Amino acid sequence: MPAKEYEILALTMRYWFVLLILYIFVRGLFSTVRCLSSVGAAEESTGNVPFVLVLFSLTAFVLLSLRGQVNVLTLLMGILVCSTFLFQYLLLYYLFGGIDRYLMLMVDTLCIVGFIMLQRLQPALAFRQVEWFGLGSIFLLFTILYVKLFKHWDKLNYPLMIIGLGVLILTLAVGKEMGGAKNWIQIWKYNVQPSEFVKIILVFVLSADLKTSKSRLRRLPVLVFTALVILLVVLQKDLGAAFLYFCLFVFLYYIATSDWLIAAGASFLAFLGAVISYHLFGHVRTRIAAWHNPWADVENRGYQIAQSLIAIASGGWIGLGLGLGSPHVIPASKTDFIFAAICEEMGILTGISIIGLYMLIMVRGVAIALKAQKPGDMLLAMGATVSLAIQSFTIIGGVIKMIPLTGVTMPFVSYGGSSMLVSFGLLGIIQGVAIKNNKKKQDGDVQQYHEGDEERDEQG
Amino acid sequence: MYNSTMKEMKNAMSKGKIKRNTIGVLLVLTALYLSLIAYFCYAVLFYGSRWFADSYNTRVKMDEKNPRIIPGSIMDRNGVMLAETKSELVKDSTTGKEEQYYFRVYHDKATSVAHVVGFNHSKYGRMGVEAFYIYYLMGYNNSLIEKIYQKAFLPQERGNDVVLTVDFRLQDYVSQLMRKQGKKGSVVLLNPKTGEILTMVSYPTFNPNDMDKVDDDSLVNRATQGLYPPGSVFKLVTAAAALENVEDIGERKFNCAGAVEFDGTKIQCYKGEAHGELDLAQAMAVSCNTTFASLGTEIGWKNLLIMGKKFGFNEDFLFSDIRMKMSSLPITYKTRKQEMAWTAVGQGKVLVTPLHMAMIAATIANDGVMMEPKLLYSVVGRNDNIQKQLKPNVYRKVLDKENAETLKNMMAKVVLEGTGKQAQSKGVTIAGKTGTAEEGSKDQPNKNLAWFVGFAPSDDPTLAIAVLLEDVGQGETGGTQAAPLAKKVIEKAVELGY
Repeated sequence: MPAKEYEILALTMRYWFVLLILYIFVRGLFSTVRCLSSVGAAEESTGNVPFVLVLFSLTAFVLLSLRGQVNVLTLLMGILVCSTFLFQYLLLYYLFGGIDRYLMLMVDTLCIVGFIMLQRLQPALAFRQVEWFGLGSIFLLFTILYVKLFKHWDKLNYPLMIIGLGVLILTLAVGKEMGGAKNWIQIWKYNVQPSEFVKIILVFVLSADLKTSKSRLRRLPVLVFTALVILLVVLQKDLGAAFLYFCLFVFLYYIATSDWLIAAGASFLAFLGAVISYHLFGHVRTRIAAWHNPWADVENRGYQIAQSLIAIASGGWIGLGLGLGSPHVIPASKTDFIFAAICEEMGILTGISIIGLYMLIMVRGVAIALKAQKPGDMLLAMGATVSLAIQSFTIIGGVIKMIPLTGVTMPFVSYGGSSMLVSFGLLGIIQGVAIKNNKKKQDGDVQQYHEGDEERDEQG
Repeated sequence: MYNSTMKEMKNAMSKGKIKRNTIGVLLVLTALYLSLIAYFCYAVLFYGSRWFADSYNTRVKMDEKNPRIIPGSIMDRNGVMLAETKSELVKDSTTGKEEQYYFRVYHDKATSVAHVVGFNHSKYGRMGVEAFYIYYLMGYNNSLIEKIYQKAFLPQERGNDVVLTVDFRLQDYVSQLMRKQGKKGSVVLLNPKTGEILTMVSYPTFNPNDMDKVDDDSLVNRATQGLYPPGSVFKLVTAAAALENVEDIGERKFNCAGAVEFDGTKIQCYKGEAHGELDLAQAMAVSCNTTFASLGTEIGWKNLLIMGKKFGFNEDFLFSDIRMKMSSLPITYKTRKQEMAWTAVGQGKVLVTPLHMAMIAATIANDGVMMEPKLLYSVVGRNDNIQKQLKPNVYRKVLDKENAETLKNMMAKVVLEGTGKQAQSKGVTIAGKTGTAEEGSKDQPNKNLAWFVGFAPSDDPTLAIAVLLEDVGQGETGGTQAAPLAKKVIEKAVELGY
């Protein structure tokens, strides 16, 4: 399609995209409010949200396929995305009736926005990302089954700890340095980020240990493990991961024990660590300086953030239109800074909706944790929720210059296999607990009947 | 089996407590997300246009060969063309093909408005209005329908024209005066009632039509980016603080012995002259350092800082039309007495931009109401369709009318019988305040600054002015250097009907 006709189409269509994404967000918001206010998890219909999502992704891919010469591959890509999404969504619903369907839809919305942006930035990566989405969904299935079926997951604590420490030490020894952090390891032809997978290990290890009450001394192995993984990722210069592990620990520890002393002590230590690393490491100082005033050194240190802010401002509320901006100017526009690229072409309103979707995912995760029957399940769901929430907050906050930038990916949106797999793994934990909850609800009457039996037995 | 389950139940954490803490965490995380959204909206609303206008924004870069949108023209308030885009067929030296080249062309006398208009160059980037209003110049403010119309029916998309509040005749006149004077410096003339900037000259200047021969010093817009010690013109702020905080200041008599000591440092009046007994208005007229120094220590850091902040010191001005550096008044509870005394007479560590000083004079002239400075008169789209029109905007109310009137009378007296006599004009009554700031050391005696800020006509001001000259020699003052220049500028402005 000639350039001008495409421009006119893209200019007009941006309203349509903003409208659809806002619609999905508002539906999610209403359903989440209802889910919080009602105690029993009533089986809720998702209405036309899956249809709207398919419409959103199809129209976006049709638009992108008209850019320049009509590209059939892009069109096929759109069909692939929609069918993969529908297959994953319907299969999970068919397999597990108790799955939180809105949670699934909101995550898929984020993924699809990511696909569209990647298709626009670099089509080859978008295809790979859909592959990661498929693999991630399989990983999701596994974690659901693991949480649902494997009753004695806490027995695996020590092996998990050893694996976690092992991969991190291995990364430190033979890892590759990419983007200033030595946190990559090459397996066959893929670059894997072990610090991502340690997140899941940390969630399991912490919840297994914290679900029973113990003296502080008997918690020592887990405390030492947490301190060690944080130290190891700091040594890899992966500050984002270090911050994430730390938040995960503090939140879970506080939730389980109400122990202000350790939580405050850890926060103090972290503060001390931050101050020391500020004076010790050049790259930390650079990050802080770039955050404080990116315009003071636009050409070097502040370049990333300045370009990100310029891109966001250029987009305005509804964006420049898909394919009409220049997101390639933003460094790391496919991974860490994809939020800025989305804001530029799809608008700040889309950006706000994305933040809103992350928030709703967090709220639903917490709601699922609250409805869990066992303390262990509660902590698992909370661990996964906190991890996703803090990570998305950290990266978006960094991209819009609210907090210093730390190189973490945007869950479900950024390009990257490790990130996609682990984000789906964390989602699987939440969904596993949700399925357990709903199963209990369905068996509710039967259980009450049995409880009566038990009482009689005791009397006897 | 039964026993072990019981044991597990006993050891398990209490579910109630976990639930309570979980809700706490929910609130914390929700607050985090809401603050993220709030900050995002705040940042975009308040800083978005500045981010967009940054010269590192390559989306609006001047594209010589294949421009997506042709930037619009820039005109002065009377329609004099200051900058426009032209195209020319140029033979490519390598391929030999003739190609259309687009570039910005500026007025023949563009050096006179160089700092206001700035430049937009494919190699050197953007500056001035060319940078700050690129949003309009590139047509980003056009409606969807207009954008579609241009794409569909016009051979080439075009941005909008920008009309500035400056008057080119006046701008050129002042620029010539500055060149004759030969000193670095800046002159700002604005309308105190509307905040319109009529003239903003910075010298030395450059030629935007010939960007290859430009040195960095002449690129600086001294009016908005130059921070200078204000010297005695700061006494206006000190006097305003005194009027608000010291009772019976009207009747108070001061006694000037030519010098006063604070903790071992001596503050002298000009040439050590003792002014004898005088009231505040007289002290202002003769610019008596000892009176204002002791007044400053009497008012205290807090009241002076409050008044300074009201006038816009330490404030990151986020004006929609102009980007200016923050003037600083660094006094805190830690500030010692001698530092306070120096600050009160505008020496110390106080720094101010000429435009800000003009705004302060305009505030006094406008009965204590500070107007937002305006540089954008209108934005004109295709078919002379006016898309944006100047709307005067009250920035804040600084003084009450009575105190503003008192200050006005004091400033009139400065020109009538005080240090500003050389600003007296036959045609118009001028009021003002002179200042000579010491910047030089013993090795470089010619490093002083000469200031004059004021307004005219003094009974119903329509003009406010700030004149700053750098590198004035020994024995020369704001009264002898800046005041006559200000007079000429105001006379010319009155002649032109402002």
